[in-house]
Amino acid sequence: MKKDKEKETEIQVESATEVAPPSESKEVSSLEAATKGASGEETIHLITFKLGSEEYGIKIEQVKEVTVTPSITRMPRTPDFVRGVANIRGDIIAIMDLEERFGIRPAPVAEGINPNITYTLVIEAKDYKIGVVVREVPQSLNLTMSKIDKTPAFLQDINVHENYIEGIAKLENRLIIVLDMYKILTNDEIKELVD
Amino acid sequence: MKSREQEYKEIFIAEALEYYDALNRHISELERKPQDDQVLAEIFRLLHNLKANAKAIGYLQISDVSHKLETAFSLIRNKELNFSDEVVTVLFDGIDLLGDLINNIDNDSFGEADPVLLRNLDIIVDSLSDSTIELAKVQKYNTSRNLSLSDLIYIQIKKLDHLLNLVGELMIDRDRILSISRELENDDLKSVSSHLYRITEELQYSVMDARLVAIGSLFNKFPRIVRDIAVAEKKEVNIELSGQDIQIDRNILQIITDSLLHLVRNAITHGIEKPEERIKKEKPREGQISLTARSDRDNVIIRLTDDGKGIDLKQVKKAAVDRHLLSAAVANELPDIEALSFLFEPGFSLAKEVTEFSGRGVGLDVVKNAIDSIGGRISVDSVKGKGTTLTLQLPTSIAVKGALLFEVDEIFYAIPLMHTESVVSLDKDELHEVGDVLVANIKGETITVAYLHELLNAKETAMRLGDKTKLKGQVQDIIIVSYNNRKLGLIVDKLYRQQDIVVKPLSKPLDKIDLYGGVTLLGTGKVCLVLDVPAITRYFTNRR
Repeated sequence: MKKDKEKETEIQVESATEVAPPSESKEVSSLEAATKGASGEETIHLITFKLGSEEYGIKIEQVKEVTVTPSITRMPRTPDFVRGVANIRGDIIAIMDLEERFGIRPAPVAEGINPNITYTLVIEAKDYKIGVVVREVPQSLNLTMSKIDKTPAFLQDINVHENYIEGIAKLENRLIIVLDMYKILTNDEIKELVD
Repeated sequence: MKSREQEYKEIFIAEALEYYDALNRHISELERKPQDDQVLAEIFRLLHNLKANAKAIGYLQISDVSHKLETAFSLIRNKELNFSDEVVTVLFDGIDLLGDLINNIDNDSFGEADPVLLRNLDIIVDSLSDSTIELAKVQKYNTSRNLSLSDLIYIQIKKLDHLLNLVGELMIDRDRILSISRELENDDLKSVSSHLYRITEELQYSVMDARLVAIGSLFNKFPRIVRDIAVAEKKEVNIELSGQDIQIDRNILQIITDSLLHLVRNAITHGIEKPEERIKKEKPREGQISLTARSDRDNVIIRLTDDGKGIDLKQVKKAAVDRHLLSAAVANELPDIEALSFLFEPGFSLAKEVTEFSGRGVGLDVVKNAIDSIGGRISVDSVKGKGTTLTLQLPTSIAVKGALLFEVDEIFYAIPLMHTESVVSLDKDELHEVGDVLVANIKGETITVAYLHELLNAKETAMRLGDKTKLKGQVQDIIIVSYNNRKLGLIVDKLYRQQDIVVKPLSKPLDKIDLYGGVTLLGTGKVCLVLDVPAITRYFTNRR
């Protein structure tokens, strides 16, 4: 655990980098799973990325690996947010586009970024994996639990996202929306896939 | 490959040795606790089974000795014979003799069982109270006892499933390595990868072979079931079995078990008529059902035939029209074989008029779904008044399937051979725009044809399957698939080859999308989507 809790580090993205062991039996789906920092204060480790122009974060326990997006095979007659399937280390997993899923307007491509290279976060849920495509290299971030507002009042006002949003992290001039990836595919979502 | 007889013999020996071990254990226990009825009952059961098994396979000596021992133990159980020291010795000797006989089944020089021992057994059984006859001392010939373990093990099917999955993964990687080695032009790599190819192939067949069971293990349950249903229905039915030796993957057999039971029950309750009715129709009093299995290349064909009243096509057509599945005009022209396929429509069976009069089709759609799920096919043929035949075409193995590879809009697809009828190349001019579909005359048959690219990729609201201008090029490659007696031609962009593929099921959440039966990885590492023919034909029919 880093002493400098809020220092940002770039995740090494080579062919594929394991960033976390598969979540074991421990309960990691809630923020309580955060570990104690050096100062004794609870900290949480997030992988952050951009969707549209906003910053989002996923707890590192939910992320199996980060890799340059491999070639994706489109699957006709699946919902638009399913980009298709890709072969990641012999596993054939579904690749999702969260911008499409949440109806987020894609941001214009920033300078110095190759629009042809995207990154895939491999999320490991209990009995399956999915990939989530992002445009920019995901970052790693440690922060104290106190920086996360778990129940912002406005969560009641938004209908679509509330299932997935675990909280809002606020630090200095940044606002990070923390997602619970395990809830990203609830029964409703699966039903939509079938229809 | 071992002969079936050899295999049965090995199974018998392994089981017999297990019985022998158990007998030894129990009789030692009995010696300490002569009054334990439970142990006695267990010994009795073991001897009884051993006797029956040995007799069935023709080892009469073993069955004879088992019989003598069984008699002795039944006397002990009925308290007609004392479990005295003398008797115990004879019984121990008898069980040892069983062990020797089992161990020496293949040993021709073993000769006959010790006559003295047999006589001793007879003495304790026959001359109960007459203790004047001396029990002769038996020459102990097996003082140096060899310990041996069984040649057979029981294994959970789950472990074999896992093994088969791993072999599937291995085959995918093997193909990849083979394709890389061709690209690299390295001789060492080429030779080692071709060796790898042979080994994986052998491994694949060994694992598949280990999962095979004789179809008789299911068929042999039917005579009793048929008898029970027939009695309940007050009918007289005889069932004839054949092809029990045909082998099939255990999981496939498991999946069709319920379906077959369902079909047999249908045949008796709705097919076979009551005896008086049959006599009126000048049929033999007793109804005939036959259940046969045979191998056909990589498939197993199971056929269920009855000589009952058959299916009334008029009723089927009427029901189809009543349920708005087709118009009355179409129904009149509908070929019989297509009319019969309505029996497999979901919910169709519930039509009262069908179950009352022709009386078939209760839950046939359920049966069809089960067969579809393993990539098999089912068809029905019936002559009114004469009887009905149901044919199930099943793959012998689940994991590996022959498939046709092709490309549509730069995506690789595969269709299992089980559902392909033929492949033809037609000039664009031979395709005709009829209504909102394309139609072609293929080998004298009028077949509906669809451009797969349009079917899969066009916006659903703007799909134009009857528009020839959508086609690319002059010559069209068409794969003719068949499902539920209906044929459909699918135009593909590029046709590749026929290949054995390992179908990997789609993982969650994509497993809910029924258009795809799974995916496979090609030697190039590219993902190839496996189209599910039942789902794609359904999608085609329901697109409006």
